[in-house]
Amino acid sequence: MLAVATPEVLWWALLPVLFLSVGGLLLLTVASLVRRLPDWLPQAWTVVTGLAVLVACVPMWCEVRDEGPRTTLAGSVAVDGSTVLVTAVLAAVVVAVALLARPYLRREDLPGVEVYVLLMLSAAGGVVMASADDLIVLFLGLEILSIAVYVLAALHLRRIESQEGAMKYFVLGAFASAFLLYGMALVYGATGSTRLALVAEHLSATVLVDDSMLLAGIALLLVGLAFKVAAVPFHAWTPDVYQGSPTPVVAWMAAGVKAAGFAAMVRVLVTSLGTHASDWAPPVGVLAVASVLVGAVVAVLQTDVRRMLAYSSVAHAGFLLLGVQAADADGTAAVYAYLVVYALLATGSFAVLTVMGGDGDAAHHLDDYRGLARRRPVLAGAFTLLLLGQAGVPFTGGFVAKLGVLAAAVADRGYWVAGLAMLGAAAAAFVYLRILVSMYLEDPDAEAADGSTGPAVPLGARVVIGVACAGVLFVGLVPGPLLDLARDAVPVLVGS
Amino acid sequence: MDAAVFIVSAVVVLTGAAGVLVARNPVHAALFLVQTLFGVAVLFVLQDATFLAAVQVIVYAGAVVILFLFVIMLLGVDRAEDLGIEPIAGQRSVAAIVGASMLGLLLTVLLVGVDGPTGARGANAALGGAEDNTRRLGEALFTDHVFAVELTALLLTVAVVGAVVLARRVRGPLQPMPVVTVASATGSDDASATGSDEATATGDDPAAEADDEGEAG
Amino acid sequence: MLGQYLPVVVLLILAFLFAALSFVASRLLAPRRPHDRKAAPYECGIIPGRETPERFPVRFFLVAMIFIVFDIEIVFLYPWAVAHGGLGLFGLVAVLLFSLAVFESFVYLIGNGALEWGPVRRVRHAVSPARTSTSTIRRAGVREVGLEGRTIGDESGRAA
Repeated sequence: MLAVATPEVLWWALLPVLFLSVGGLLLLTVASLVRRLPDWLPQAWTVVTGLAVLVACVPMWCEVRDEGPRTTLAGSVAVDGSTVLVTAVLAAVVVAVALLARPYLRREDLPGVEVYVLLMLSAAGGVVMASADDLIVLFLGLEILSIAVYVLAALHLRRIESQEGAMKYFVLGAFASAFLLYGMALVYGATGSTRLALVAEHLSATVLVDDSMLLAGIALLLVGLAFKVAAVPFHAWTPDVYQGSPTPVVAWMAAGVKAAGFAAMVRVLVTSLGTHASDWAPPVGVLAVASVLVGAVVAVLQTDVRRMLAYSSVAHAGFLLLGVQAADADGTAAVYAYLVVYALLATGSFAVLTVMGGDGDAAHHLDDYRGLARRRPVLAGAFTLLLLGQAGVPFTGGFVAKLGVLAAAVADRGYWVAGLAMLGAAAAAFVYLRILVSMYLEDPDAEAADGSTGPAVPLGARVVIGVACAGVLFVGLVPGPLLDLARDAVPVLVGS
Repeated sequence: MDAAVFIVSAVVVLTGAAGVLVARNPVHAALFLVQTLFGVAVLFVLQDATFLAAVQVIVYAGAVVILFLFVIMLLGVDRAEDLGIEPIAGQRSVAAIVGASMLGLLLTVLLVGVDGPTGARGANAALGGAEDNTRRLGEALFTDHVFAVELTALLLTVAVVGAVVLARRVRGPLQPMPVVTVASATGSDDASATGSDEATATGDDPAAEADDEGEAG
Repeated sequence: MLGQYLPVVVLLILAFLFAALSFVASRLLAPRRPHDRKAAPYECGIIPGRETPERFPVRFFLVAMIFIVFDIEIVFLYPWAVAHGGLGLFGLVAVLLFSLAVFESFVYLIGNGALEWGPVRRVRHAVSPARTSTSTIRRAGVREVGLEGRTIGDESGRAA
């Protein structure tokens, strides 16, 4: 029998996926063979794995910068700046969530190995999404990421809201996956390949007589991806899931899942289907504006801080879509810069919420934050900074991020889109103001006032909140390095 | 001959699919699903995709529907939900309109645009002999799509871990159900579970008892 | 080409005919005189004490799930086996990595006791020395027939 040509493998390019998946599987094996694992081991292992991925990203970045982007494994995996940047973001969020998870699990008396396993495997799926150069690989990465997150959302088995949220997330997520898959099938039917590079090549080399099938495929792809990043009108799951899930998991959903989703969206829409930008950009613009406005306005009506932040994450998704709909290198760079900043903001904010949740993860009402500034001034200060960052106040990272996407939209002549988004940003600022007022201006409850100093802040949470605040401030004051990084990360398609 | 087989199996597929939607008894719906999947297997045979046909019967009609039946039995066939009440008023009519227009759109795209959707690369050209089929598939899977194959293993592992975690016995008391309060400040789509601080102790949850039983191992 | 599937079609028709005939025959021939005791879940005389809270333990579902997982593994192994001559070492490594990852979930399942069946392990401690026939009868009075011999609530040997 004739030997078949087998694809070459760039092992260094697969290191992040390998680290995360092998790390997860090894931990799973050890945990099933050793009955009583020391309490600290799974967390330490996860942190080490995440840091190893971060370290591996440095030589990868240099290699890509010096030698240019390329693909491996028969063109199914792209190795370029965006892959490395999003991988690094995901790895950092994994480390942060692992730091938050252990005190949380101990407080809530939950069993604790699978959390880390699922977290690492989910991150592996996210990295696959960020590096997918093939629609099938993209779908598999998305499913690995999502299924792990559905389970993580249901992890608090004793909280009925956790079960409810996970159920809603799962059912709607399964629908979204079906849409995505159908869209991929139609795009494949219209272009004859699932490889993103070949799709782009085909579309740029041929003029389709009838592109209705391709357009239907793009529309369905857009639905599936918009669900993943929680853009209006596909956001309905967000508040319930954010409210019900264990708070460290919400940090992963907000920062990690969104980053992976947007990396995939940029790769598919902007890079691969860029020739049809005039077809998909207007709907994406509508999604963006709807997300910003609905997210901001409905967030104002909430009384639960987690639901507020859920809607605000919808608004952030809208801003990110603003960068996507610009459909050019500037917009893409702005999206990546926004993703980095939002990862910092979301992880930090949900770290504060993890601490504030208290026993049973229930104290998330706005009233629970009353007078926090008096009880826990440092925590309140950090939360203030993070909230101001989310609002996009100057000298914080949020300002730099929002300015980037708005500038990209304006440069693309999307004046009305940008204008409406600004309006939404102003409305969203009111949400954060409400929390700030509650923390600083209102008196604490009677029972909270006498002697209690508020929740204890574990070391892990201190590290996460501290790093997030420092990052937000640094980006706000010295935005240059991040913007350069994001500009270098704009993905380029390489034919296989 | 081919056309006749196609028409018959298409009818089998479509009646099965309609049966899944119409059947009141969930077990019947699952059996209709078997019918649909079997019809699809026949369509695969018609396309010379014999391996896929076998997989379709073994994995889908065999294993997946059995899993569905397990879940139906677990939950109890007789525990029917009252479908007469719409949780959100007007939801169903809107869903029907959107669904119908979506179906119409896709049908239009597929039927009207049937001539020129693709410019190149016949995706369903003959593979040349049914015997060759599985080997070609194997070569494609383990060269061009080798990364996808490895990812499938990862996906399966995640599924197993997820199933075990979710089927796990609950330790300790369940937390009380939050009382649904319609506070004046909540949004219109926000009627669920906002007043967690006003929760009352309804600790006697049936789910807790259900988990004590049958988990003797 | 399609003629080779004729036996399958014939078999299918035969199966349907057999099932249909069985229904019709039983309808025609069997006497139908249902009454309460015949319709009871156990026709053997035991009156069910209480409604069972669930029909099957979730364990059954896990087994079905695991079955599918390994089913899918076989689906991938088969094309590899057919094509392995041409794929060489690359294919072998690929399929080994694949199998290892799936096998890993098997280790996890066994380690978690998801595949352990039957009564719990420490069954010899189940009957306490203090137990007499009167205490058994008293226990039967509170409707726990069939549960003795199983140490309910003794979960210590198992990572739940």
